[in-house]
Amino acid sequence: MVNNVDNVDQRELQSLQAYLNEYRQQAEVFAQQLSMLEEGRIEAFAATEALSAILNAGDSTVLLQIGGGVSVRARVEEPDKILVNIGADVIVERSNSDAVEYLKDRITEMEASGKKVAEALDRIRTQMNEIARRLETGYRQAQQMNPPFSAEQPEEED
Amino acid sequence: MNGISPKVQNQIAMLQQMQQQMQTIGAQKTQYEMAVREAKRATEELNDVTEDAQIFFSVGTVMMQKKKEDVLSNLNEKIETLELRIKSLEKQETMLQGKFEQLQTQIKQALEGKVPSAV
Repeated sequence: MVNNVDNVDQRELQSLQAYLNEYRQQAEVFAQQLSMLEEGRIEAFAATEALSAILNAGDSTVLLQIGGGVSVRARVEEPDKILVNIGADVIVERSNSDAVEYLKDRITEMEASGKKVAEALDRIRTQMNEIARRLETGYRQAQQMNPPFSAEQPEEED
Repeated sequence: MNGISPKVQNQIAMLQQMQQQMQTIGAQKTQYEMAVREAKRATEELNDVTEDAQIFFSVGTVMMQKKKEDVLSNLNEKIETLELRIKSLEKQETMLQGKFEQLQTQIKQALEGKVPSAV
């Protein structure tokens, strides 16, 4: 690699730069995944809270948000019959407590996946830092060997 | 690209094209694998619910009530189809990988024969 070399290989620097770009893209993908997992976790947690609140609300009216900051008054007829989307376009009716349990399991899974993604992101960032350090050393060596030219002499006009 | 023959330049372009194709196939394969995982998980969840449980299947914007056995057979069919597609993509991937490595070796040999030693 670049460290401990007398002659700085331009192709090696280019290759390192390419690796750095590749790692940067990977890091962006992992960061997006992490953010999606976090959003999913928060959403699932909010749903568990809502399910408990609906069960405890009894006959009282709730406000159902229909988007755009608009809500309508609604009454949950059967708070113990919850429809849960279990993936692959399938929705199953579950009891309130089963639905909460299902969501809690999903939260645990998302937390575990989030941990794995965060670890992978950390590893990539460490590698990126290492490559960036090598690149910096390489460029500095290249600069020392080939100092930049002083300003070009303007051509004399006849 | 100075000093590289048009033939090698063409080969490099082909190599890049192959790389893009492999990335597309890889992305598609990942998508199908995720769909299979999701369908398998849904099957497992369905196996846990009672026979009389109400089950709905999302069709566009409508959720239609279906029998458990119908949903299960639908999911199994979906898994089968997706797994076939994954196998087909894997074949394409292997074939492309072989061609890619072959072309890569050719380019490497062509460049090694021409590139002057570093000054």
